[in-house]
Amino acid sequence: MRDSGTTVVELTGVTKSYTAGIRALDGVSVTFGSGSFTAVMGPSGSGKSTLLHCAAGLDRPDSGRVLLAGQDIGGLREPRLTRARRRRAGFVFQSYNLMDSLSVWDNVLLPQRLAGVRPDRAWARDVLRRVQLDGREHARPAQLSGGQRQRVALARALAARPEIIFADEPTGALDLATGRAVLALFREAVDDLGTTIVMVTHDPVTAGQADRVVFLADGRIVADLTEPTPERAAAQMMAVVAR
Amino acid sequence: MMRLALSTLRGHRGSHLGTFVAALLAIALLAGGGLLLASVLTARPPADRFAAAAVVVAGPHEVKLTTTTTKKKDKVKTKVKTETLTGSRTLPADLAGRLAALPSVTAAVADVAVPVRAGTPDGRVLRGADGAPVIGHGWASAALTPYTLRSGRPPNPGEVVLDADLARRAGDTLVITTRTGTRQVRVVGVAAPDGRDGLPAQGAIFLADADIGAVAGTAGPTAVALLAAPGADTAALAAAVRDLAGDAGVHTGADRVRADLPGALPDYIGPISIFGFVLGLTGFAAVFVLTGTVTLSVRQRLRELALLRTAGATPGQLRRLLGAESVLVAGVAALGGAPLGIVVAEVVAARFRQLAVVPAQFEVRTYAFVLVAAAVAGMLVTFAAARLAGRRAVRIAPTQALTETANVPAGGLAPRLLVAAVTTAGAVALLTFVPLDGPLGIGMSFVATALLLCAVAALGPLLVRLLTGPISRVLGTGGAAGWLAALVTRAERRRVAAVAVPLVLMFAVNAVMLLNNALVADLAESEQAARTAPATAQVSMPAGLDLGTARRVAGTDGVTGAAITLPTRVVVAQGGKPQDYAAQGLLTTGTAPALDLSVREGALGGPETFAASAYLTRQHGWHVGDEVPVWLADGHQVRLRLSAVYERARGFGDLVLPAGLVAAHDPAGLVGAVGLRYTGDVPARLAATVPGVRVTPALGAGPAGDAANQQGGWELLMVISLGFTAIAVVNTFAIATVSRRREYAGLRLAGATPGQLHRLALREALITVAVGLTLGAIVTGVVVATFSTAQDGITRIVVDPLTYLAMIGGVGGLGLLAGLLPIRLVVPRRSLPALEA
Ligand SMILES: Nc1ncnc2c1ncn2[C@@H]1O[C@H](COP(=O)(O)OP(=O)(O)O)[C@@H](O)[C@H]1O
Ligand SMILES: [Mg+2]
Repeated sequence: MRDSGTTVVELTGVTKSYTAGIRALDGVSVTFGSGSFTAVMGPSGSGKSTLLHCAAGLDRPDSGRVLLAGQDIGGLREPRLTRARRRRAGFVFQSYNLMDSLSVWDNVLLPQRLAGVRPDRAWARDVLRRVQLDGREHARPAQLSGGQRQRVALARALAARPEIIFADEPTGALDLATGRAVLALFREAVDDLGTTIVMVTHDPVTAGQADRVVFLADGRIVADLTEPTPERAAAQMMAVVAR
Repeated sequence: MMRLALSTLRGHRGSHLGTFVAALLAIALLAGGGLLLASVLTARPPADRFAAAAVVVAGPHEVKLTTTTTKKKDKVKTKVKTETLTGSRTLPADLAGRLAALPSVTAAVADVAVPVRAGTPDGRVLRGADGAPVIGHGWASAALTPYTLRSGRPPNPGEVVLDADLARRAGDTLVITTRTGTRQVRVVGVAAPDGRDGLPAQGAIFLADADIGAVAGTAGPTAVALLAAPGADTAALAAAVRDLAGDAGVHTGADRVRADLPGALPDYIGPISIFGFVLGLTGFAAVFVLTGTVTLSVRQRLRELALLRTAGATPGQLRRLLGAESVLVAGVAALGGAPLGIVVAEVVAARFRQLAVVPAQFEVRTYAFVLVAAAVAGMLVTFAAARLAGRRAVRIAPTQALTETANVPAGGLAPRLLVAAVTTAGAVALLTFVPLDGPLGIGMSFVATALLLCAVAALGPLLVRLLTGPISRVLGTGGAAGWLAALVTRAERRRVAAVAVPLVLMFAVNAVMLLNNALVADLAESEQAARTAPATAQVSMPAGLDLGTARRVAGTDGVTGAAITLPTRVVVAQGGKPQDYAAQGLLTTGTAPALDLSVREGALGGPETFAASAYLTRQHGWHVGDEVPVWLADGHQVRLRLSAVYERARGFGDLVLPAGLVAAHDPAGLVGAVGLRYTGDVPARLAATVPGVRVTPALGAGPAGDAANQQGGWELLMVISLGFTAIAVVNTFAIATVSRRREYAGLRLAGATPGQLHRLALREALITVAVGLTLGAIVTGVVVATFSTAQDGITRIVVDPLTYLAMIGGVGGLGLLAGLLPIRLVVPRRSLPALEA
């Protein structure tokens, strides 16, 4: 268990626009404490993905500051930005983002290989077992179902034991049972390993599993819920949409 | 469908760019090669020396053989095969007199044309404009063009009139050498055709009519030209002439020019074979590359095709879409490719004119049908390749579009194996049954290469699977990039194959051509050296050496042996087909041999005999003692007995005839070189007795002029071929890289730095290049080793280590560059990961 007092990611006044005039993020300030599990909710187009990208150093804000484990990543140029990111953060994308030409096993170990660290195979095997993919190590992503691929992407994020995992709608394409299993896995990672998780979701039930829910609308944080339940998350969401 | 095709084209300009580039270049090369070949095939002699004559009679300029075979049921089949001669048979001396009596004939001129070596008394050689040959005539022939006097007067015996072009470079006295000897004649006049200084492609000198027969050494005229009254019925006259002319040719209109001495007209036989080869080579490479490019770019769009399937498109609609797209792309490419083809043809022709591979008068004609044919061929190939590649792609399940990747349903292995088996069998048959040491050797070794390349392309993914294992184990060590490159290349066999095949093409086609040509040149050179090794020195004369003078050279005091050779061409028949060969007239004197042909069987010399190369003897199934009909340069047939079989024929000729026979029947009939064995101060004595003679210790002279020209042609062909295949390599790499944007974006998101991706691309390029070079070296090795073994029984694979290394380095370097450059554009060094995959 990590000291949940320290901050892993801190965004201060982050603004980002893709097309002039429309702000995908509009002066967002938020911190994610170590070992916390945060859900990000909001209507479609409200800036959830953009927030995750900026927080993870995948994208550069127009203004504002992003600290990742205390390091200001706004000033980093490539390839140092990538190095900083991959050392600390794992990402689960909406589109899974697996390599077609690599097996499940090689996909899971890929970030560690790229980071040049000796892969922790025992842990990777353990993670694969937990996402119920043991025995499918040699399969290609193309041979898996959507839910299975989502779990490979999760296993990949977990296998590198990052300080923080960003997950963009990780249960979106999953059936109920698999979605629950994934969520349980996240919970476990937070509780047992002290991993910090920031997860975008549309589902109040999923959000209810988190320690905190941040609501976004039009690129601004409009609500911040702690100790959420599915009911409170749903109600708050209704309020945001109705605004 | 066209509208959808148009919109998908607009939406995917990038992914069609590769196909467009390949189609543009392919069409340009096909059009360029086609225009050159068509132009050279239809090239007419640049000027008509008989422009003023109505009808011209000339001896046949070809050997014509008619074979009649009786098949079962009394079906009689008649085949006529001809072969053109380098000389011309002379006509009966009294023919002109008989023809003059025909109605409407105002004059019948007995025309003599004889190749002349002209020079100034101080030994300067005089050639026509652009190095054209100088042809001697009697003054009576001047009226046939007509040449009219610009100054001076008609020649009397011992005098000469020059055309205005030659006159500019000549002095008062001209030294002329023909097979009958050397004479000094006084220049007394200058004549020229109307409006120009001379005829293109032939310089003309006019001797007195009383002199010309003796100078030419012929009993009769080479042609009889009839001048007719204005308004005379040429057709009726020609018919009347035909009755009197026997088997001689009767020429009217545009055909009259063909009555001129073959040696006086530019020769397009060399260019025809070179341009035929240009078209064959570029055509193959273009079609090969285009097919590969289209297949690759269709496969790169599987995802999009799958999406169309989910949107309700039937497989048939997708097939039609692919077809329509490809025709549109190739059609647009044709708009640029056809004009580019004209440029290609013009540039090549200009260079070939410079190299004297084609006569200076050669012009590229823009035949619309060639351009259309090239465009249609390009479009057909693109269409067929797209449909073929699409055949499997469109069967893609719509659900594939929903998943992350679209995978091609595994292609049938059987058709691939079948294609590979057929093409390999073809190559093996060619390499086994065609005599590669013959005139077809180089061409056939190229065809075998092409067939093997088709087999490699068909088996591509299989071969790549075999090779990437061991290669990537070596090249994939160390670092994440190496690890990843090994995995990716092993997984993406098709893509690796698609990119490696152009490398195989580039290496094999060019290496085979370079190495085989180098081998032939080396062998010719070493055989030349071995042939002339016994001689103390070689004697030649830039201004021309006739047989009589050569005999005097051979008879110089102190000479113990001499070998006088006269280059010529003769025709021998095989299976009813006359075929022309390079030959030499040979006269040996003295007791010490001065020429070593490496006689394998029999002995050189003896009246009414000839010797033949081992190759020719084998081809014809001759045996020493056989009597063989041989047509000499003027079409005169002699029966000669085979007295010897010799080995060293390269750069020399396949037949050796008595020198006197060649001198008598080749209108040029001059000595090429005299090999001498002597002791003491023979050179000084020679210089005194035969002024202008050149004595060289050994025959250090390079290949004969003709061979040197051909060499220039080959080199230019190499440049075209290297250039095109290099573009193909770069193009394929670019297509493969650009279509991997998604994959690269994914890797960046998974934590790869741009530098790592660049290193990954380098490793992958290294592996691909290694695969390509390995396959290329195998194809090259098979062809070159077989070719080499056929030449002299020695199996060589590398032939010329420097050339081989240069090819490896050049092709490999280009492949690495082509693999590295596009990724630097797709993934700039400082770029952020692309989030929109
Ligand atoms: N690459 C992009 N180019 C232009 N606009 C974008 C891009 N990515 C996101 N946007 C815009 O930014 C806003 C926020 O997008 P996003 O963060 O993806 O929203 P969410 O994930 O909440 O649905 C939207 O208006 C979207 O259209
Ligand atoms: Mg989103």
